[in-house]
Amino acid sequence: MTSRIDAIAAVIQSGRGTRAYSLDNREAEQVLSIALALLVELAASNDRIDRLEREIATLKGQSLDALREAPLDADAQKERQEALEAMQLRVLRILMDPRDGG
Amino acid sequence: MRVRDVQHPMLPQATEEELSRQRAVVSLRKLLNARVRSQNVRRFHEEGAAAFAERNSRQPQSPDDIQAALFESMGYRMWSAANRSAQEMIWMSVGEPIFRDRDRMQAAARALAEAPDRKGSLHLDPDYDPSPEIAGTDVHLQPGGYGRDDGPDDIVAGAFYETGGNVFSFGQGAGKGDSKAGVIFRLLDEEFPDFVPGRILDLGCSAGAASCAYADRYPEAEVHALDIGAGMLRYAHARAEALGVAVHFHQMDAADLRFPEASFDLIVSHNMLHEIGAEKRRRAMAEALRVVRPGGLVIFQDVDTRFAPTEVHRVEKNWDTAFNGEIFWQVYNEADLVADMRAAGFAETGLREHNVSAVSNINRWYVISGRKPVDGTPTA
Repeated sequence: MTSRIDAIAAVIQSGRGTRAYSLDNREAEQVLSIALALLVELAASNDRIDRLEREIATLKGQSLDALREAPLDADAQKERQEALEAMQLRVLRILMDPRDGG
Repeated sequence: MRVRDVQHPMLPQATEEELSRQRAVVSLRKLLNARVRSQNVRRFHEEGAAAFAERNSRQPQSPDDIQAALFESMGYRMWSAANRSAQEMIWMSVGEPIFRDRDRMQAAARALAEAPDRKGSLHLDPDYDPSPEIAGTDVHLQPGGYGRDDGPDDIVAGAFYETGGNVFSFGQGAGKGDSKAGVIFRLLDEEFPDFVPGRILDLGCSAGAASCAYADRYPEAEVHALDIGAGMLRYAHARAEALGVAVHFHQMDAADLRFPEASFDLIVSHNMLHEIGAEKRRRAMAEALRVVRPGGLVIFQDVDTRFAPTEVHRVEKNWDTAFNGEIFWQVYNEADLVADMRAAGFAETGLREHNVSAVSNINRWYVISGRKPVDGTPTA
């Protein structure tokens, strides 16, 4: 099983050819691409949050405020850091795209 | 047999988070198609044409003029930029689970391909150099393209094609019940009700979804399918075995068939014509006529962009040529396919173009079909 980070990097590095741009300003188009990728990430995060809220509300009957304020332990922080790095690779993918000299 | 969203062991075991990303890309593409792209022709008439005329002291007339006028519209440029980005994210959203789960998927494919009770077969040609005009491009931006082959057990191209194709098609409005093969079954039922093929050839089969549908629809028939890439074909073969249907896959060029004359009753292709250049298309048509039996049918199904109501609509549809790795999209849109079929030797009698509705949504498909005369004599 390949790590998420390696998997994302493998997809990014697979792209061939020259990227076609539509906007006069390439920097602006890359920012648009980053913003759209963040839209997708936000949708995925919202799904996770929604799922958690429903599960926990059903299983434990705790208030959402109490659950949200619980601190992360070391293992959880490590897992979140890996998830953060993977998310950053997805969102900033265009900066590393070999079709654009990345 | 359903062809989309079919479950089998070569699909990556995507996490819920990965599935959320795929759904988000589908939703983004639906929004861009329905609410943004749908305004492009209006943008041409209300903004682009006037700006072009001011810049060039004449009205836009040629396809190149219309293309330039579209880019005079900021709304069109923003749609184009966003649509390119959304297309790239299709492959990101399916590629992460594919590469993460690749070892398991490859092992599953190998086990199915080598199973003692396998029904079909796989014939790779180590001497075949996948057609550069196709393999050299990341068609519809699929990473590595159709000819990708990362090693002896590699199936990535097929996994990309099936999973990315689902995200793409659902974003185009296709439902899970959609089937391009189903369109041809309906056409055969309506126009050739007594036609029962004994041997079927699927040209440019990609991941083999349609090939499997033919094998399922005609269980007594011997179904063969071909494409250019080993990675695509390994996946297609294992997929067919997983679904329990017999398909014989070949690494071969549609323009250079290694089958004897008059050896198939039905030759089909699905979305192949827009992926190949004019010369290869003409040779593929001639080869299809050569290997189909007298009385047999040749049917090419493809995208409906040829039915654009105006020149502006047609040029707008050509976006894929420059921005989506579909380098032959415009060539296909503007080709005289009836003339090509006639030049390949198909008789005018029995040669027909069809504008057909999809099986389960409002999309439409282009189909051109020809029947080889019973006496076998090609008619120029």
